[in-house]
Order: sequence, then structure tokens, then C-alpha cells
Amino acid sequence: MLPVDGIPTPEDIMAKMPPPERLARGPVVMVECFQQIPCDPCTHACPRQAILPMKDINEIPRVDYEKCNGCGQCISVCPGLALFVVDLTYSEEEALVKLPYEFLPLPAEGQVVAGLNRAGEEVCPARVVKVVATEKMDKTAVIWLAVPKNMAMEVRHLKVKPRGTTVICRCEDVTLEEIEHLIKVEGVRTLEEIKRLKRCGMGPCQGRTCLPLIAREIYRLCGTEPDSLAWPTYRPPVIPLKLGVLAGGGSDDAQA
Amino acid sequence: MHRHEVIIIGGGVTGCAIAYNLAARGLRDVAVLERYYLASGATGRCGAGFRHQWGTKTNCLLAKHAIAKLETLAEELDYPGGIDLKQKGYLILAYTPRMVEQFKKNLALQQSLGIDARWLTPEEAKEIVPVLNTEGLLGATYCPKDGHANPFKVTDAYARAAKRLGVKIHTYTEVLDIKVEGSLKTVLTNRGTFQAPVVVNAAGGHAATIGRMVGVDLPIKPERHQILVTEPVEPLLDPMVISFYHHLYCQQTPHGSFVMGLGDPNEPKEYNERSSWQFLVQMAGKIVRLLPPLKNLRVVRQWAGVYDMSPDAQPILCEAPEVPGFFVAAGFSGHGFMIAPMTGQLMAELILGQPTSLPVDMFHLSRFSRGELLIEPSVV
Ligand SMILES: Cc1cc2nc3c(=O)[nH]c(=O)nc-3n(C[C@H](O)[C@H](O)[C@H](O)COP(=O)(O)OP(=O)(O)OC[C@H]3O[C@@H](n4cnc5c(N)ncnc54)[C@H](O)[C@@H]3O)c2cc1C
Ligand code: SF4
Ligand code: SF4
Repeated sequence: MLPVDGIPTPEDIMAKMPPPERLARGPVVMVECFQQIPCDPCTHACPRQAILPMKDINEIPRVDYEKCNGCGQCISVCPGLALFVVDLTYSEEEALVKLPYEFLPLPAEGQVVAGLNRAGEEVCPARVVKVVATEKMDKTAVIWLAVPKNMAMEVRHLKVKPRGTTVICRCEDVTLEEIEHLIKVEGVRTLEEIKRLKRCGMGPCQGRTCLPLIAREIYRLCGTEPDSLAWPTYRPPVIPLKLGVLAGGGSDDAQA
Repeated sequence: MHRHEVIIIGGGVTGCAIAYNLAARGLRDVAVLERYYLASGATGRCGAGFRHQWGTKTNCLLAKHAIAKLETLAEELDYPGGIDLKQKGYLILAYTPRMVEQFKKNLALQQSLGIDARWLTPEEAKEIVPVLNTEGLLGATYCPKDGHANPFKVTDAYARAAKRLGVKIHTYTEVLDIKVEGSLKTVLTNRGTFQAPVVVNAAGGHAATIGRMVGVDLPIKPERHQILVTEPVEPLLDPMVISFYHHLYCQQTPHGSFVMGLGDPNEPKEYNERSSWQFLVQMAGKIVRLLPPLKNLRVVRQWAGVYDMSPDAQPILCEAPEVPGFFVAAGFSGHGFMIAPMTGQLMAELILGQPTSLPVDMFHLSRFSRGELLIEPSVV
């Protein structure tokens, strides 16, 4: 409950929800501002005046949802981090949530992070689609997160997970966590696809170290027997050879 | 039995780009059938370069529009990791007076089409590529906007964008036969039967085999091309270096590795994706003479892929006259990666019966029977 722990109840949230018809048409602002306080930057931030002017600075902001196009320019302006943009039409399976983020380091585009709900609990993996952090935004970045559709009204913050430290592919510096993510979240099932997405097996070792380990992860996570996997072709040369040597220019010292 | 509006055979860059372009134009009931994994054919094996420097107006325009699309593709397809785009130019080397004459003609054409390409003396070429051995070099042409992108990521980006729009992609699904009854085509695979009024043949080096299944004779022959990659090193080489004289190309990828390949004029026309040691020796000999400091680089891997060669080294993009609803996008003859963004768009327009954004009549299959070949002077 807001007055007790600062966490809005489902009823509080319902009252702030844009109309369903508007949500169905694409990105739109959601103003999760609950308290009457003397604050109004949002009303000045919107280039389309979608957040309506206040008669009294203590008013709770009101929105003309027809005017809002979901650009998100208001998000970084709100000192209460109360403004979000939600796009339920982002794709078949995913919704997009644009949210304010004031931690460093900023996540990278494409990175998978933990989506947190309003109580700060991890609820799902989320993919960083875009990081907007211009000089003008004064250190409040706006992060675009792709989340499973049913999480669009849940995810309001994110946590950057520390990069895994178990290196599986030494040639190309790929970690166990990255491989697990490909298998569990992206639904990748074959060595060939992992090779092409992460370069595992394309380095000097030609996959001799990493591919058996990756095959074991596929077995652990999906139950596919390593013998029934299609193994990438081992390609010549068996050990790296200098072009100069191949061209007939003497011996390769490092391998002599 | 799966029923669709359109079935695309081939999950290379061409098939995936067509699928996305159809879906983006509203035709979302599309299935892509790929016998192995996406980009397992020529796409995932290619040199990955793109260039504006062509010798015919058609190809210059096609490349120009396609490259403009590649430049913003990651945003258009919402592919956050990017497609490893590098635009550091192509340097095309001239060794004979005939080449000089032809290249200068090409330049005049390119410049008339608003392409920023120029003539360089051997000294100027050496400024751009300090590791170049200029012995015997008469000059070079250079276009700074040429470059390359990661073909697997480009294909993956198209496939993911298409899937988000509702396209179904079936990997490990091999087309075994096609039956045509009236306007309906029934496609038999190792994983069930698919039906659609429209089938697109984007099967690369296997396009002729797919054509035969519906009785359409496609003059497309597979031709092996070999290629190798070295260990990654610090940036040494900005542009892609091409020499038609030596039949070779060589570039350094953003990852740091060098990728280089040779065209062998005597390569038999048969389906062959095996590597040969002769290639390693030939390639090494030529490149060490042309870019001597590369002699200390280690080769980590070699592989081979096939060009889908057509008689005039130009693609076939059309609806087969004898089988309405059977479309062909194949015969790319070694440059299908770079033009794929336009192939995707033009084929989608053809299939939807919309006016095409560039003329495509010259790519019609019937040009061969009419003897109107589209000869491109500028190919490796
Ligand atoms: C060594 C090499 C270097 C190259 N360098 C360049 C370059 O620098 N720049 C450039 O632009 N182009 C280059 N190319 C050419 C380029 O790779 C191709 O033109 C392009 O990738 C063609 O794409 P595609 O999708 O039409 O064909 P492909 O990528 O070959 O896709 C066809 C797909 O169809 C599938 N298929 C075949 N038969 C069936 C079936 N019966 N059922 C289901 N699926 C089937 C195959 O598995 C394959 O995945 C190069 C090619 C090679 C081999
Ligand atoms: S999202 Fe854009 S249009 Fe909507 S209220 Fe915020 S600033 Fe205004
Ligand atoms: S700026 Fe934020 S905290 Fe202030 S009134 Fe607007 S929404 Fe509420």
C-alpha cells in the first residue's frame, strides 16, 4: 500500500491505466503519479501538451491520451520517476516498456536484463532495445525494454545482471551464461546456430574445446543427446598456419 | 497439412528478406522452408562485401538502393546488436590498359548516378592501403561507401523481424517435391505437407532442382568458390581489396580477422562445398605478393560455398511464365548478399502485384530465350 511501503495496489494501478482502446493502438504514456505534491515539470515537457496544464501546482497530472504519441520525451523530466510509456503492439509476443533509469553502468542495447516489478522483484527476463541518454536528459536515461506481453503492466524497473564468469569458448570469450541464454530464452537448439551467433568454434581451436561443452549444455537444458546433434564441420587447416608458410616461404617458427 | 498464402523455399538472406518484405506490406501468412539452418547455404559462407562499383546502370542502381537499406537495416528491423556494418570502401585494382579503360568507363557511369567513386593513382592507393604492393599496378578505383556486413546477422535480423510479424520459419525442413493442381501448389517435405497458391524459389545453388519439380527449366548452375579466414589482429586494412586480374578479394572484418577468396575460372559447374588444399596454397601465394605483411598471419579455417551462376551472371527475378504463382529469386552469381534488401523488396512487390520500385523486366527468365543477356563487365 502506498502510504505504508510505497508500492501501489492493483486498484491504484487500474486508476492510472490508459484506456484499453488507446493501448491497443500503440505506445502511450502511463503516469504513475499518486500523490498531490507541488510538482509540474511533466506538463511542460510534453511537446504535444498531452499532459494537461495544471491550475494548481499540487494537482495530480491528467493526460489527454488522444494527444499522446508515446514518444517518451516526458520520462526523463519527472523527478519522481513516475512516467512510463507502454507499447502493447510492439510485436506478437512482446510489449515495449520505456522507463527511466538512473544507475550506472547503463545496460547495453541487446543485453538481457532482469525485469523488476513495482516492488523490485524479478519477474521476467527483459531485452534492452534502446538506451537513450543525451546530455539534455541530465543523467536520467530512458531504457526501452522488450518484455513478454503479459508483463507490460508489471515491469517498471530493471536489474543488470553481472556478466557470467564461466568462459566456455576461450577463443572468442563466450560465457556459459551467454550460451544458456541462447538456449533457454532465444530457443536456439543446434551447435551450428550457436556457432554463427557467438562465433564459438570459429576461433583457432576450431571448436575442439567449446563445442563438446556446448553440446553438454544443450543436453542438460533440452535433453538432446550429443550424438543426435549435427556437428559443425571441422575445417582445414588442423592447426593455424602462416600465409607466408603456405606461400612457400620457409617454416613457421612458433609451430616448429 | 499447413495452408499458407505464400511458401518461400530457402532460408538464406534472399528468402528471409522476401518473407520480411511481404509481411511488412501486410501479407503475413507466409512460411519459409529451409532444409538445414538459416544462412546455411551461400549466405553463411559468403565474402559479405557490398559495393556500388558496378559496370551496368542496372547493377549500380540496385546496389545503391540496397546499400542505403543496409545502412539503416538494424534500425528498420529493430536488431539491437547491429549487423557489423563496416564502410571503409572497396579498392579495385587495375593492372592492364584494358582494365584502366573499362574502369574509367565504369566510373563515369557510377558518377552519373550520384555514386561517389573515384580514380586513384598507385601512390594514392598506397595511402589508403599502406600494406599494398603496388608493383605493376596502373591505378585503382575506390568508393568509400562500399563495405561489408555480417551475413548471418543480416539474415537473422530479417528472420526475427519476419517472425514478429507472423511469418512461420521451418528449419530442418527439406522440400522433396512440388505438385501443381490448378493454382494450388502442394509442397512435400520431410516434415509434412504445405500448400499455397504462391511458391517462391529462393533455393540458391539448388534453385534449378526446385525449378525442375514444377517443370520450370532454370539455367542456374552451382559453382564452388573457396574462402579462408585468419586469426584476428589489430586493424591493418580499411577497404576490401579486389583484383579481377588475380581473381581475388581480401578484407579485414570488424572482428579483426582477414577473409579472402579466389575465383577459379576452371572450376567445374557442379555442387561441391568441399575445401581443397590447392586453394590454400594458391590464395596464400597471391595474397602474400599483393599484401606482403600478411605473410605472418595464421589461417585458422577455410571453407567453400557455391555461387548460383546464371548464364549472364545476373539474377533471375520473375514469375515463371509457364507456372503462374511460381516465383524465382535465384541466380545471384556471387553478389546476392549485397542486393538482398532490394531483392526482398522487389520480389514482394512482384508477388503482391504492386508496381516495382526499380525496373525488374531485365531480370526476367525469358531474357535467355530472347538472347538479351545482361552482361556485367565487373565481376570476380
Ligand atoms: C565464397 C563466396 C563468397 C561470396 N561473396 C559475396 C560477397 O562478397 N558479396 C555478395 O553480395 N555476395 C557474395 N556471395 C554470394 C552470396 O553469398 C549469395 O548470392 C547469396 O547469399 C544468396 O543468398 P540466397 O538466399 O539466394 O541463397 P542461399 O544462401 O544459398 O540460400 C538458399 C537456401 O535454400 C536452402 N535450400 C536449398 N534446397 C532446399 C530444399 N530442397 N528445401 C529447403 N531448403 C532448401 C539451402 O539450404 C539454403 O539455405 C558469395 C558467395 C560465396 C559462395
Ligand atoms: S510520451 Fe510523449 S506525447 Fe506522451 S505525454 Fe510523454 S512527452 Fe507527451
Ligand atoms: S513530474 Fe512526475 S512527479 Fe511531478 S507531477 Fe509530473 S508525474 Fe508527478
